[in-house]
Amino acid sequence: MSATQLIVIDTPPYGDWRGREALDMALSLAAFDRPVALLFRGEGVNWLRPGQEGSAISQKTVSRNLGAARMFGVAEVYADSLALERFAVNGPDPEAEAVVPNAAFYGDFSQVVQL
Amino acid sequence: MTDHDATTLHILNKHPDHTRFRACLDAMAPGDALLLIENAVLALADVAIPLPEVTYALQADCEARGLSAHRPREVEQLDYIGMTHLTDRFPRLISW
Amino acid sequence: MSETAVSAVPGYTIVITGAPYVSQAPATAFAFCRALLDSGHVVDRVFLYGDGVALASALNTPPSDETNWTDRWQELLVANGIPAIACIASALRRGLLNEQEAHRYERVAANLTGGFTIAGLGEWVEAVATSDRVIYFHGGA
Repeated sequence: MSATQLIVIDTPPYGDWRGREALDMALSLAAFDRPVALLFRGEGVNWLRPGQEGSAISQKTVSRNLGAARMFGVAEVYADSLALERFAVNGPDPEAEAVVPNAAFYGDFSQVVQL
Repeated sequence: MTDHDATTLHILNKHPDHTRFRACLDAMAPGDALLLIENAVLALADVAIPLPEVTYALQADCEARGLSAHRPREVEQLDYIGMTHLTDRFPRLISW
Repeated sequence: MSETAVSAVPGYTIVITGAPYVSQAPATAFAFCRALLDSGHVVDRVFLYGDGVALASALNTPPSDETNWTDRWQELLVANGIPAIACIASALRRGLLNEQEAHRYERVAANLTGGFTIAGLGEWVEAVATSDRVIYFHGGA
């Protein structure tokens, strides 16, 4: 088991603030130099769809915050492979590693946090 | 560390049709335990829902929902003190 | 937490992310927190995040025949000297302000109830690094 904390986002990028506040947790850990990874599971994979334009609903484009996450030290970004397929998210942006979120996957992280 | 070193207590509060319910079961490894709280205890009323071997339920939530005395399946019910004993035993807690 | 105190039981941080009167989270967390204290545990801190910050509003006014979770939590925290923090980003967005923030943003009033402070997510990062157990109580059940 690594010392890395996993933050899970399983809510869509718009229509709900939980994903944004979960991402803030990941950014905060990174800001304090704590190892952190992100998993987009279920409907959360819609965060990774290219071409988002939040301004159409007077909101920030959250996928840009996600782009910043790597810069701020969120080294690992994972995405639920079945959900990527189901929601037709191709060529995720930023590039995320497709995984099956099962016991073996979660077992690699010191803590798992989802809002 | 205890002898439960890498094992996890999964604390599930979502109703059985919530996507987190299935996601939680998928995340369980051998040696892990499941604690059903709040609306997750409704799973005790539905025998079709597969539950892991080591499953506990919060007694107060069962009682509130009329599931304490008459329920179609038996799992160990814990009061809140019992819940603290459980969370003490497992070094890793995941809330769903 | 101290080097000299030899404790048989782990110390806890409680994180509440579900709002009162919307979710059961603050109620379950309250019963669990009281059970921890009754069984000789140390509760290092309570952290409110996301919708959970609504618990710290002094303006919550449930009908008199319903539990006032804000008052009950406040009593428990103060009686046991447990530090309780509402995340500043979650709080400001949802209209939960202390005097200092109300002044800074020129708002008409402050509504943070006693027993709670407002601070950043760094408090949560600190909790994760130092508490033996961090337990989350979510909404959306």
